Amino acid sequence: MKKKYIKVLAIVVLTAMGTSCTKFASFNPVENFKITDLQYLKTESDYRTMAISVYSPLQWLNQMQPIGDIASDNSVAGGESASDVLPLQQIDDFTLTPVNSTLADLFVSAYEGINRANYLTQFKAANPSGEAITFAGKDAMYGEVTFLRAYYYFALVRMFGDVPLFADKRIDITVSGTLKRSPKADVYKQIEADLNSSISVLPAVQVQKGRITKYAAQALLGKVYLYENKFDQAAAVLEPIITSGAFSLVANYASIYTAAGENGPESVFEIQYTNNSPYYNWGGATRGEGNYAIQQNGIRGINGSSTLAAGWSTNLPTQNLNNAYAAGDQRKAVTCLDIEAYKNANPSLNITYQVAPYKNTGLYSGKYQPHKGETSGQVELNYLNNFRTLRYSEVLLMAAEANNRATAPNDAKAQGYINQVRARAFGDALHTVTSTGTTLRQAIWDERRLELGMEGDRFFDLVRTGQAASKITGFVTGKHEVFPIPNDEVVISGLAQNPGY
Amino acid sequence: MVLSGSYQNNQFYKPKKRYMQLKIKFCMAMALLLCLFSHAYAQSLRVTGKVTAKASGEPLPGASVSVKGTTIGVTTDVVGNYSLNVPKTGVTIVISFIGMKPIETVVTQAGVLNFALEDNANALSEVVVVGYGTQKITTISGAISTVKSEDIHRLNPVRVEEALQGQASGVSVVQSGSPGSGPTILIRGIPSFSGNEPLVVVDGVFQSTADLNAINPEDIESLNVLKDAATLAIYGLKGGNGVVVVTTKTGRKNQKTQLGFTANYGVQQVANTIGVLNGTEYAAIINEGSVVSGGNVIFPNLAAIGVGTDWQKQIFHTAPMQTYSMNATGGSENVTYYLSAGYLSQGGIVGGMDKSLFDRANFTANLNFQLTPKLKFIVNANDVVLYSKGVQENSFNSIIGAALNFDPTVPVLNTVPNTVGKYGFSNNILSEVYNPLTKLDNTYNYNIGNKLYGKFEFQYDVIKGLKLTSRFGYTKYDDNSKTFTPLVFYGPQNVDNTMAADGSTVTGAHNSVSHQKASNFGYSWESFANYDFTVKKNNHFDVTAGFSLQRSSGNADGASRQDVPYNSWDFADFSAATGVNTATNSAAQTGFYYQYFHRNVSYFGRLNYDYDERYLASFSARRDGSSTFGLNKPFANFYAGSLGWVVSKESFFKSDFVNFLKIRGSYGTSGNDNSSPQYRSISTGGPDYGNPVNSNGYNFDNTFYAGSTLATQANDNLAWEVLKQGNAGFDITFYKNKFSVSADVWKKDVSGLLFTPFQSAYVGTIPPPAANIGTTTSKGIDITLSYNETFSKSFRLGNSFSFTASKNLVTATNLDGSAKIPGGGYFNGQSQNVTLFQKGFTPAYFYGYKTQGLFQTQAEIAAAPTQAGAQPGDIRFADVNGDGKIDASDQTKIGDPFPSFTLGWNLTASYKNVDFGMFTYASVGNDVYRAYERNQTYTNKFRSVLGRWTGPGSTNDATTPRYSFLDPNSNIRVSDRYVEDGSFVKIKNIQLGYTFPSSITKKVFKSVRIFGQVKNVYTFTKYSGYDPEISNGGILEVGIDRGAYPQARTYAFGLDIKL
Repeated sequence: MKKKYIKVLAIVVLTAMGTSCTKFASFNPVENFKITDLQYLKTESDYRTMAISVYSPLQWLNQMQPIGDIASDNSVAGGESASDVLPLQQIDDFTLTPVNSTLADLFVSAYEGINRANYLTQFKAANPSGEAITFAGKDAMYGEVTFLRAYYYFALVRMFGDVPLFADKRIDITVSGTLKRSPKADVYKQIEADLNSSISVLPAVQVQKGRITKYAAQALLGKVYLYENKFDQAAAVLEPIITSGAFSLVANYASIYTAAGENGPESVFEIQYTNNSPYYNWGGATRGEGNYAIQQNGIRGINGSSTLAAGWSTNLPTQNLNNAYAAGDQRKAVTCLDIEAYKNANPSLNITYQVAPYKNTGLYSGKYQPHKGETSGQVELNYLNNFRTLRYSEVLLMAAEANNRATAPNDAKAQGYINQVRARAFGDALHTVTSTGTTLRQAIWDERRLELGMEGDRFFDLVRTGQAASKITGFVTGKHEVFPIPNDEVVISGLAQNPGY
Repeated sequence: MVLSGSYQNNQFYKPKKRYMQLKIKFCMAMALLLCLFSHAYAQSLRVTGKVTAKASGEPLPGASVSVKGTTIGVTTDVVGNYSLNVPKTGVTIVISFIGMKPIETVVTQAGVLNFALEDNANALSEVVVVGYGTQKITTISGAISTVKSEDIHRLNPVRVEEALQGQASGVSVVQSGSPGSGPTILIRGIPSFSGNEPLVVVDGVFQSTADLNAINPEDIESLNVLKDAATLAIYGLKGGNGVVVVTTKTGRKNQKTQLGFTANYGVQQVANTIGVLNGTEYAAIINEGSVVSGGNVIFPNLAAIGVGTDWQKQIFHTAPMQTYSMNATGGSENVTYYLSAGYLSQGGIVGGMDKSLFDRANFTANLNFQLTPKLKFIVNANDVVLYSKGVQENSFNSIIGAALNFDPTVPVLNTVPNTVGKYGFSNNILSEVYNPLTKLDNTYNYNIGNKLYGKFEFQYDVIKGLKLTSRFGYTKYDDNSKTFTPLVFYGPQNVDNTMAADGSTVTGAHNSVSHQKASNFGYSWESFANYDFTVKKNNHFDVTAGFSLQRSSGNADGASRQDVPYNSWDFADFSAATGVNTATNSAAQTGFYYQYFHRNVSYFGRLNYDYDERYLASFSARRDGSSTFGLNKPFANFYAGSLGWVVSKESFFKSDFVNFLKIRGSYGTSGNDNSSPQYRSISTGGPDYGNPVNSNGYNFDNTFYAGSTLATQANDNLAWEVLKQGNAGFDITFYKNKFSVSADVWKKDVSGLLFTPFQSAYVGTIPPPAANIGTTTSKGIDITLSYNETFSKSFRLGNSFSFTASKNLVTATNLDGSAKIPGGGYFNGQSQNVTLFQKGFTPAYFYGYKTQGLFQTQAEIAAAPTQAGAQPGDIRFADVNGDGKIDASDQTKIGDPFPSFTLGWNLTASYKNVDFGMFTYASVGNDVYRAYERNQTYTNKFRSVLGRWTGPGSTNDATTPRYSFLDPNSNIRVSDRYVEDGSFVKIKNIQLGYTFPSSITKKVFKSVRIFGQVKNVYTFTKYSGYDPEISNGGILEVGIDRGAYPQARTYAFGLDIKL
């Protein structure tokens, strides 16, 4: 009797447990209210929302801009001390090692952008559940996606040379460590294909400012062609932007860089930042909606009633850049803000400030200074300043260079374009360039420095045009044309390091 | 109490009816038993007498006198007298009392039998609570450490872990000084970089170490720490890091009500301060630094400055610490109870009681009901109210960090006309480091929590030896917190001001109030059977089998709002604040919500066998399912076995010197499911900050648009961590039971460590999924030694030592060994990480540059490996890899925050009515990394700077390089310059008590004792900071002193009353 009772009890308990318990331990993501890949990309809205996040890594790449000047003769790293902003100091001094957190962050950020774009192109025809979702404007939307992928690959190839290339899908950890670097030429081929695809589907005007337009794609492709020394193609793709009449140079150069000047008549493509969103975090200082690079440029401890707010005295323009401007050039004061001169000229503002404690040049990047009222929340991380990534004046200068260097050069056209830029700079037509051939070419290159100073292009221009070794102290030809591949990518991914590092 | 009354009326006094019902159900067994009882009763003889304590001669009320092998028994009355009817001559009666050695004697005739019980020094006959049962300590072949209630009481700890430190061998506890905060606790080595906390089981119910803040240590009967695989495998997945088994007090049957009251009041203060420069010294060094760097003299008139302000004096306060506890214990034939109420209040020494405190009120009812002779019902119910306030800790800009680094030339109070702000400000330090008093003054927060935990349990004796237990355990914790961030004026030029000098609000700045409410609920339902039986006289079996279901879940929500009226804490509430979101400020009103859950299902079993308590064997197994694992591996199995041999039981073993000797060994597995479920999720909305940081969305022309991305990857093969542990040890008592030693050597190998692998950067920022890739190995020795001596009736001495040592090594991280987990981040001009979890090294070792003195001359620099920026007087760093240059690859191991071994010594002595207790704890071989030096140009410097390099030959000490505003050599990089030997010997507790003679007090009280106590009496250490014992939570944070909250020295006075 006893035994029977125990047996029955045991059987009942074990059966009950056995059936219910396996289920008790299993997990379904829906229990955590999580939407997974199989439930997504079911509607037009899903596609469009996902396309917006392909833009996000544009913002994360903000350190590419200071690097482009710090690595060149335009600016120094500055900062609090020699041990502050070490990654930038290394770039400044060309003591670069493969361990550089800023470069590593740019590398991974660009690839996140590529993977996000790839996820959308992977599921263009059919979503992860195998359903085809069609909607009006889908192709045009994909024009933005391919532009962004091209932008990210261009960022990588400019900084690192040969890089792993994939465009068929978003890769995951199972692919980690299996890819090799693809030749630069292949990467450029992908960039060209993506941009041409964008040009064919994008509208000339987008309702929302900041969205990629056909002109932006043409301008970027023109720039890419210059890097490839394909001048005929560059001239051909840039010309329609100019003839379209969609853009014009504003008279007041300084106004371009004000909050009101964002997305102005001269803006072909701007990376958008805003202080309207509470998206800032010290854990991801470069990945919020605000522009981290602005605080870096600020003057330490500045006080007084000027509009300037305090910052970290990083990315300080050199006297060399300052001296490059001719008298009367309105770009000088904007590009190289001489704070002592400004203070003395405006005693009523009662300005006090700390001299930059390290590598002081007395100059600050006036284009991207922190201004009072242009940030909110975590003030250091949330400045609203857009990056003027592609301006019409650059389109003119690129077209000038392309025409000057084309198989059949057209220097007259080139002069016309560069002189538009100079006329705006001086506010008169007295500073025209009349030279031709290689003298004109050098004039165009020099003009690029003056026009685009402290906008992050100088180093890449010097490398592209072969001037780096002669202009940059510490530059070693055959090594410093590209930055080192981040060390983890050599160790973990087994990528070959760039020569010399 | 009310509860028990109503139950009694309804059910418990109807035993006869219950009896009949059961009889029908289990007629055979019952009939047999009934026959036995009735038969036995007929021939009874009456024995009476008194039970006393041998050492003191005092009567022992509540001692148990029972007939061995039966349920017949009584307990002694208030003066220790008993009266028992013994069934027949020749039976054995057992006299026992908790903490005393039981006596067995054969009754041959009726009459008076008096007993004097000896203290149970070696505790050999005690029963220990293990997983899903109890076991006689002599028959255990696993490894267990135990701490008793009297040792806990003597320490008067805030948290239970304090009582484990140095008292339970094999347990490492690194305490923290902040009121109520949890220490770092490790049982046997460091298996992982996170999730090393042991499981806590309170009266059979699962909790976590975080829950230990809510337990009143006075309620604890014993703490058992299960350490080896044999004792842990039955906890399977939960047991990987060891188990702390907390058993709370209960009443005993037929025990007269005993009331206890204990009170303790003390004052706490900081034990020492850190040497910083005074006003004049500071001004002089700032002048020097500025001039050396080509700048101006900053303080032209040194003479006018004086000693300035000692900011440490300003922030440290004496703070009260008080505990009160009342309890009632007792029982009738069918109901026993332990009721208690406790209150603890600990003020913080940083900022004082107003800003930093921990309060706790406990209410406990442990009730046992014998519903029928076979059915027992147990209710443990605890309610805990927790209240705390905190200050910013552990960073250069915390309260302590600011006190150490702030400008000493600034006066305490603000005397500058036309500026708001009560306290002085610096015109040199313009960001990050503020007047600590301003910071303290503007710190407003509280957290109030309520925890309800306990269990409902049925125990049913099916037949003799077979018991079924079904237990429902629960923990419900809700808390509610508020933080107010006011507008603050830090000084006219301070860039971090949110309030301007005239009291107006800085444009774009807002004050804000944040609220958070969290609600957590966890339950477990466990049913198991224990069958204890003996075959052929000496083959004793104890079989356990059962199952367990557990679920923990919770959710939290919060809201914050800007623009609190009058910038005042009085109005700091969401409903009073007026912030409304606008196009330019979407942070005026924000909110959040999250939820989580975790489920486990388990089956377990254990077989304990002993032959004559001489040959011991045990085998246990558990099968666990967890909702956190990948799709492919939902279940895990764990096994362990152990063997023991009680040598002293052998007939050939004849030693007068050795009283008891047991040799034992075990091997087995346990696990860990410190993971979260994985899936390929889509994240939608704004930036979602994960690790690595990821964000979504973008703005077009300053209007934000939410975006979406694939946010996670899944690893469907994710499984549990497996810990394989081998243990060998022995227990011996010798020399008249005065000495006892228990020693274990163990080795633990962890594989399948849940580790987030590194992935190629071209995969992007989508976080890699956790995978089972890491391995670690640890080995160690645990020793407990005790020596007790009674010199005469009135003088007794007790010593117990515990020794804990372990060596740990990370043997694999990811597939190629390149992955490392950094920790110990701090800021001293640049963000640095000090600790690293990396293959080939001890877990969480300090990682940085080695120093080799200072460069004395330019020629030395030229001859040395290339070191960018070096000048004479700068630190010479070691070229570890010998490549002729100093760079990141020269970083190496520069220290280890974990000790080689720790030692605890608990000394107790009593002479007549005076008792004395002292607890000393030593930690040897642990390093501390000094990370509280902010090193901004104008922040204060530490006294070591006075011995700085001033020219060739002045010093070659790498801790004192030249002083300059500029630092092109980066002397501030992570290096052994900041590493100090943190070994220490701490006298943690001294207590001196006096018990009034019962002749004076007995009319009213059973006993009255008063005592004085000093905690953290003195620390012997070479460390220059406050306290070398630094816990900041996880193991990667241990030993990093960013201005850690020091443990307070406490002077207390107390009272123990029993009635």
